[in-house]
Amino acid sequence: MKFDIGILQMAQDLAAHASSRQSIISQNIANADTPGYKARDTASFAETFAANAATRPARAGHIVFDTQAGVTESAAFSAESPNGNTVSIEDQMVRAAEVRHQHDLALGIYGKSVDILRAGMGRIR
Amino acid sequence: MSDLLNTMASSVSGMAAQSARLRLASENIANADTPGYRRKLIPFEQVAGGSVQTGPIHLDSSDLERVHQPGHPMAGEDGYFESSNVNLMIEIADSREAQRSYEANLRMFDQARQMTSSLLELLRR
Repeated sequence: MKFDIGILQMAQDLAAHASSRQSIISQNIANADTPGYKARDTASFAETFAANAATRPARAGHIVFDTQAGVTESAAFSAESPNGNTVSIEDQMVRAAEVRHQHDLALGIYGKSVDILRAGMGRIR
Repeated sequence: MSDLLNTMASSVSGMAAQSARLRLASENIANADTPGYRRKLIPFEQVAGGSVQTGPIHLDSSDLERVHQPGHPMAGEDGYFESSNVNLMIEIADSREAQRSYEANLRMFDQARQMTSSLLELLRR
């Protein structure tokens, strides 16, 4: 049986990207009142995936997915506070909702692909 | 997975910092009428892991409010005594802001927790 395992790899990368982005967003929110803190965000999944595709090792078992590499200061959604802080909680909430969606999508795709594999082996649950 | 645990750690540090701020706001409000009381302030600092921590408490050095009340035991020759430099409006606005930031951190914590449990759900199938 030939099954394109790439979809599982991509789902895994998407989930890893979502959780790393969630970590950055929660750091932004934790520092929402820290003077001089600049809001940060990771590069989008498409950009990170394209950058990683070039350097991906040949064996699928060797997972190298460095999402921390593309962390940059995110564009200020609102004006900077007088204390130099650029975190907008509303903006971060929108980003967090995106992350949630991305993570659910990744887990959904992963679960369904595994179900298809199981069905191929004649074990429909 | 470890990213999600880091997320929870940053959110918890944010909640701890905001509750310290809320505690000081309530101490200031409780002492609003204490003669000679100076309002306490707590600075927020970013730590290396992206979390937030509170720095040493310092006192607001602005002038104490002079209140005219000749019958007061602490009143001087001119009938004035020095009250606290607490401004209730500022303290209430500050505590409301702390409450909102606390809620945002809590929301992030909950989201990370839900993402973790849906990730673990894949193992349970």
